[in-house]
Amino acid sequence: MLTDAVVRTSTGRVVGQRHAHHDFIDKVKGTMLYAADHQPPGMLHGRVIRSTVPSARIVSIDLGAARDLPGVAAILVADDVPHNSLIVRASGGLGELAIEMPILASDRVRYTGEPIALVAAETQQIADHAAELVVITYDELTGVFDPLGAMEAESPLVHDEGNVLVNWHIARGDAQLGFARADVVVEGEYVTQLVEHAYLEPETGVAWIEDDVVTIRASTQVIEHAVEIARILGLPSNKVRVVAAYMGGGFGGKEDMTVEPFLALLAWSTRRPVRMIWDRQESLAASTKRHPMVMRYKTGATSDGRLTAQQVEIIGDAGAYPYLSARIVFAAAVVACGPYQIADVDVRSLAVFTNNVPTSAFRGFGAMQVTFAYESQMDRLAEALHLDPAELRRRNFLSKGDVIPTGETLQTVVAVGETLDRALARLGELPVPSAPHKVVGRGFACNMQPYGRTIWFRDQASAWLTLQADGSLLIRSGVTDLGAGQAASLCQIASEVLGVPLAMVSVYIGDTALTPPAGGTFATRQLYMSGNATLAAATDLRGRLDPVAAQLLGCAATDLDYVDGRVLAIGGGSLGPELGLSLAELVSECARRGVDTSILTVWHADVGTFDPVLGQGDTFPDYTYGTHATDVEVDTDTGEVKVLRYIAVHDVGRAINPMRVEGQIQGGAMQGIGYALTEEIVLDQGVNNSTLFTNYLIPNASDYPDIEAEVVESGEGRGPFGARGIGEPPIGPSAPALANAITNAIGARPTRLPMTPERVLGLIDTTRGKSWNHK
Amino acid sequence: MSTFEVDLHVNGSRRQLDVKAEETLLDVLHDRMGMSDVRYGCGEGVCGTCTVLIDGDPVSACLLLAVQAAGREITTLRGLEGSAPDGLHPLQRTMLQLGGSQCGFCTPGVILTAVSLGRRNPTATRDEIRHELVGNLCRCTGYTKIIDAIETYLGELGTGTIDAH
Amino acid sequence: MASAPFEYLAPSTFAEAIEALGEYGDAAVILAGGQSLVPMLNLRLVQPGIVIDINGVPNDGPVANGGWLTLPALTRHAEILSDPLVAVAAPMLVDAVHHVGNVRVRNRGTVGGSLAHADPTSEIGAAALCLGGEVVLTAASGSRTVPVDDLFVSYLTTSIAPGELLTELRLPALNGRSGVSFVEMVRRTSDFAIVAVAALVELEADASTVKRASVALSGVSDRPRLADSSLTDELIGQELPYARLRSLGAEIAARFEPPDDVHASASYRLRLIEVLTARALQQAMDRARS
Ligand SMILES: Cc1cc2nc3c(=O)[nH]c(=O)nc-3n(C[C@H](O)[C@H](O)[C@H](O)COP(=O)(O)OP(=O)(O)OC[C@H]3O[C@@H](n4cnc5c(N)ncnc54)[C@H](O)[C@@H]3O)c2cc1C
Repeated sequence: MLTDAVVRTSTGRVVGQRHAHHDFIDKVKGTMLYAADHQPPGMLHGRVIRSTVPSARIVSIDLGAARDLPGVAAILVADDVPHNSLIVRASGGLGELAIEMPILASDRVRYTGEPIALVAAETQQIADHAAELVVITYDELTGVFDPLGAMEAESPLVHDEGNVLVNWHIARGDAQLGFARADVVVEGEYVTQLVEHAYLEPETGVAWIEDDVVTIRASTQVIEHAVEIARILGLPSNKVRVVAAYMGGGFGGKEDMTVEPFLALLAWSTRRPVRMIWDRQESLAASTKRHPMVMRYKTGATSDGRLTAQQVEIIGDAGAYPYLSARIVFAAAVVACGPYQIADVDVRSLAVFTNNVPTSAFRGFGAMQVTFAYESQMDRLAEALHLDPAELRRRNFLSKGDVIPTGETLQTVVAVGETLDRALARLGELPVPSAPHKVVGRGFACNMQPYGRTIWFRDQASAWLTLQADGSLLIRSGVTDLGAGQAASLCQIASEVLGVPLAMVSVYIGDTALTPPAGGTFATRQLYMSGNATLAAATDLRGRLDPVAAQLLGCAATDLDYVDGRVLAIGGGSLGPELGLSLAELVSECARRGVDTSILTVWHADVGTFDPVLGQGDTFPDYTYGTHATDVEVDTDTGEVKVLRYIAVHDVGRAINPMRVEGQIQGGAMQGIGYALTEEIVLDQGVNNSTLFTNYLIPNASDYPDIEAEVVESGEGRGPFGARGIGEPPIGPSAPALANAITNAIGARPTRLPMTPERVLGLIDTTRGKSWNHK
Repeated sequence: MSTFEVDLHVNGSRRQLDVKAEETLLDVLHDRMGMSDVRYGCGEGVCGTCTVLIDGDPVSACLLLAVQAAGREITTLRGLEGSAPDGLHPLQRTMLQLGGSQCGFCTPGVILTAVSLGRRNPTATRDEIRHELVGNLCRCTGYTKIIDAIETYLGELGTGTIDAH
Repeated sequence: MASAPFEYLAPSTFAEAIEALGEYGDAAVILAGGQSLVPMLNLRLVQPGIVIDINGVPNDGPVANGGWLTLPALTRHAEILSDPLVAVAAPMLVDAVHHVGNVRVRNRGTVGGSLAHADPTSEIGAAALCLGGEVVLTAASGSRTVPVDDLFVSYLTTSIAPGELLTELRLPALNGRSGVSFVEMVRRTSDFAIVAVAALVELEADASTVKRASVALSGVSDRPRLADSSLTDELIGQELPYARLRSLGAEIAARFEPPDDVHASASYRLRLIEVLTARALQQAMDRARS
């Protein structure tokens, strides 16, 4: 079984180049077809009817007027769902509850926005009108909206089984002994907010019945949900097909099912095609979000700046249903100490139910929130020790071979120090304030983020490569593409190995019927998994082609070079033409000899186990490290923060396409900046006050400087050609880098996100001995 | 419910169509005329994914009724003429080469807004480009490469390598 | 989401529009730039029986005459930014419009629509108030002129009577020794203001003491508001150090009970009123002196 990347050095002809190819051409032309762009004839329009209250018993649902509306094709409620339950368990956490989530709520709603009924109608307008005519009466129950409150004994229960979904513990050494060895101990509590993915393309899909198979073409990161959809419909798995359209952004928000089960139900019951596009406002109100967390940290160090111990408590707000919360708070626990060597560690991490909108996967997957906490702690510690914050970090960085708190040994180089040095060097001198009422400050933050799924899920991905008679190549992979070039990267990898020009490579992705399983695009796993699968497949294919080519060219199989659609003998072969063979000639010779030029390869990741009682075991395959550094200017009269410079440096092992790597870093850093400074879904007793896009403040083009991205290539990563994943990592360091810079500027530390002007002004006031009633 | 017969001039061609009063230009272009490069993103005029040019000026197609667009010149991204053999408009080419597009959902709006800026102010500075684009949200790129692509394009306009169509 | 059905009428004169308003009464709503109305239609928050689209009414553009700048209701935000007449006669309006929305909003949105919509954060509203503007409201029976201060009644509510159309905004021309400023705090450029302050300062012939001052604010109340003139009048006859402006800002703030919303608390808005008022007055004075 393959668990390590096939070792292959790249020629740098294709891998490592800034190619602009495949889907990117369609994107700049505007010809890319997203999920909303397929309109099968006779298509109906679907809509979800959602709860308007956060916690209630449903007394009645009156569908009469809506059903009578001309043009309404179907209205479905809980009773119409063949198997109205979804259980996400299997994280393996301590005392993890098995909670059923209904597809449509029947008697009880647990959050505002919970789906209750579905409509399909001839036009969107009729569907919307019908939704207005459905009358639902509720018997409201007391809800709980704060995870700390939900942990109290007398709290209302979100689920009868209890309010604590899962409870992780990771421990190594003896934290109390570690604190006893410390000369300095700093403590902090950090609070993060609810945020939305806010991909520009809302949740969207189209479903139809073809050959008695429910076919759903949707904006989804995970086509493997086909199995769950079949279960919901009460059908065998072969009766549901999911096709992933290229996504207008995903960021984790299309990792759980969104429109798919609703579309399937409506198409199945009407036997007609149905399209469903969640309104932006619906997406803001009811789609899953990032976990707000309360994180309590206690960190000890010796006077010479060696970390001795860290104790961490993480409480994540899961909202009303489990989704992926158990895994997310686990990931938070695993990297809660960051890229630092600490012998004595005790981490507890909980996911707690509330009557808030559910939270789930979002780029960073729990590793993001803790970065804000551990990097704030490092600066606090540096201050307490009178040490330069960079120096403190350098003294404690992890290195290859070190053991992390889970007991695992790091297998690849840890180049976080180089990312730090490069980021700080690039910043140069701190600028002077532009006005008397302004102050400037500098901050930076380092992070580590896993890439690849948790090891005990026994991850695998497959790739199917077909070298065709004319020398062109087909790649089929179940990968889904969020927009980061997941498919295009596979082309570059295959092209590199097989010498097929990129224009002669086609890639077909994301179809449970026609492409081999790749396991969803999340957890920064696809370059690692499908990249390795494609590399392995291409290498296997070379294993078949090489002997034939070597014989035809009269050279050793090790002396072959595949380039620009030809195979050459390095240094010239004894037979054949000087220009070698075309791939078409090679394929035709293979056909004559019965050598198959189509190959399906399955690549397996490491396997391992984790002991939740001991809090030790195998967790993630590897990590990506980085540093962001920034200069800010703060208006001390208004609290406004202006970002003057922003540098983001990550070790990606090997850049398959440097342009796309930079793009990931820049985009991730900017999302992180939004998280740090402006973004927040404001809930008031479970009611969402940020459902307009005009009120949910993702960064625009004008408010921030360029993100200056630098790529470190340590050459060591567990992906193809030594690559590390870079999808999620760049989002992590922004908030602590900015928090550290603001602290440096104003002399008081933000511990709550987002760091709004109002909160920053409140902090400035504390330094002046003033206090006022700010939010 | 009133219905109107309208003449829509989209990307140089004309279509006569019956539209309902309340149909937005976005709905008609995307759903009825197959212009998949005009996209729903928010319905509030905030995000910019439904940007089209009306008589050369960017507007939100989600905030314009289709009846209001009758007889006006409507340009979507696909209506931009590319003189190069690859059929790409010069800004499409810089966007492609400099990585200005990731998921691509915002790209048509970004390009149309920038092309219109280039016509009005071909010497726009980087800051002016940024300000012009405040209404074209992008969640993937962090904007740096988009601004690079537009700046490069305007630079080419300035040196006369290309013209602003 | 798709708007509920409605009828549609596109008159080619204001008179026809007014006639239609009379005919359809409550069921009718005027459509100007659509940048506020159409989002509400799209979200089905407004479900009118008929939409009367006034975009077909000819728009001759701004006119300066007899000490007044007249802006027809259909003057688009973008026109304000490019019109040379407005640049000279009402530079504050230009500054204000720079803060309004994005390029698409400015290409469609109108002066009349902004004032009629009466958003409490409206920049155009604050500028029109500060400059002492008036609107012309036209009905079948004739026209009346109303100071902008009397136009805004409360949240999204004006004194425009049923059957009336806002047809013009009129702004008095500025005296040579005046300076204007428009400052705004916003969480994200181009969004609705958290607090915006418009300030006008006219100096005596000595170019140092204040002859007249006026301040208007948005984001501080249920509608754009003028600062109490008894406070701004305190500046008359004075040469003003920044500290004095700050304390005036604090006094002005004390007269408001600003809203609390997802973007800022009432108490933060009070702080902003103090700071931004001082900054706006300072800049207006500096400009008046130069
Ligand atoms: C993304 C976005 C950002 C924005 N940002 C800002 C901002 O920062 N600051 C700001 O001030 N505004 C902002 N706006 C609103 C914009 O300025 C609108 O254009 C303006 O508020 C309304 O003008 P309109 O011409 O579009 O009016 P419409 O939307 O057509 O109409 C608005 C209301 O006024 C009524 N009405 C219109 N004209 C008349 C008339 N002549 N007589 C009587 N009633 C009339 C209509 O019936 C309707 O009730 C923004 C809008 C969007 C979409």
